[in-house]
Amino acid sequence: MANKSVWNDNRFWRRSATWVTGFASILLIWLTFDTSAQISMGTNEDLQNGVTKRVPGPTVINYKITYEMSAKRGHEVPVIGGNDGKGNSLFQEKEKFFGRDDWSEKEAREMLHLGKLGSQAKNCMDCHTLLGNGAYYAPDLTKAWLDPAWGPNGTMQAITNKPTKEEAMAEFLQHPELYATHARMMPNLGITKEEAIGLVAFLKHMSSIDTNGFPRNFGKMKGAINGK
Amino acid sequence: MFEQFTDVVPSFFGWLNQGPLTLTIFLHTVIILPMIFIYFQEKKRLENEK
Repeated sequence: MANKSVWNDNRFWRRSATWVTGFASILLIWLTFDTSAQISMGTNEDLQNGVTKRVPGPTVINYKITYEMSAKRGHEVPVIGGNDGKGNSLFQEKEKFFGRDDWSEKEAREMLHLGKLGSQAKNCMDCHTLLGNGAYYAPDLTKAWLDPAWGPNGTMQAITNKPTKEEAMAEFLQHPELYATHARMMPNLGITKEEAIGLVAFLKHMSSIDTNGFPRNFGKMKGAINGK
Repeated sequence: MFEQFTDVVPSFFGWLNQGPLTLTIFLHTVIILPMIFIYFQEKKRLENEK
């Protein structure tokens, strides 16, 4: 009988396939648990104790959020409540959100929940992208809160005639057809005032999530990073 | 070749994602090396059967 090659041997391929499939299964189960831990939302205590979470607690809407280049990580990171000079959040500087900077965890959570449900009911993802899911017909909303167009030097507060970012956003969401900002105009989706406030809270919270620098092109927008 | 770990939270999967070589070396270690080991085991078995 001629020499039998290992490459034609059933057992070699069966053992290799068993090893790779088994190992990959274990790795994927591990990855699932690892991801669950990373994307679980922080709490108000985390923010008060200065614990950096990838997804901060709902009361992050009481804090000032900026987007700053981290030399260590090589991309922009959301900085909550002031920068310690090394790109880490200080969790100190507050910012009024609809006139208050003392929203309780329960109130903030309810607003975010309403905003999340609203974003699903009005199907924002039909045109926009949220955290990598959705379309690119309209601007990416992942870091929309940090978009300088809504800031004090941007155009949106002026054309909506509102003194703050959150009020300008809420006004725009209720009457988008009045403010032509883009050739692709946003339609009036019948968003109520309460829903608009929830949606703005949802957007502010989303901008505080550490997305490892996603979307990558956001940092190229003038004024988006470190106010430059 | 190897860069400082920079992800926000230390994690094994974050380490895998730090650069192209970390993932490549890891996958070669867990797939190719065991296959080489299995290859020589099976070769020895076939030779013994003869």
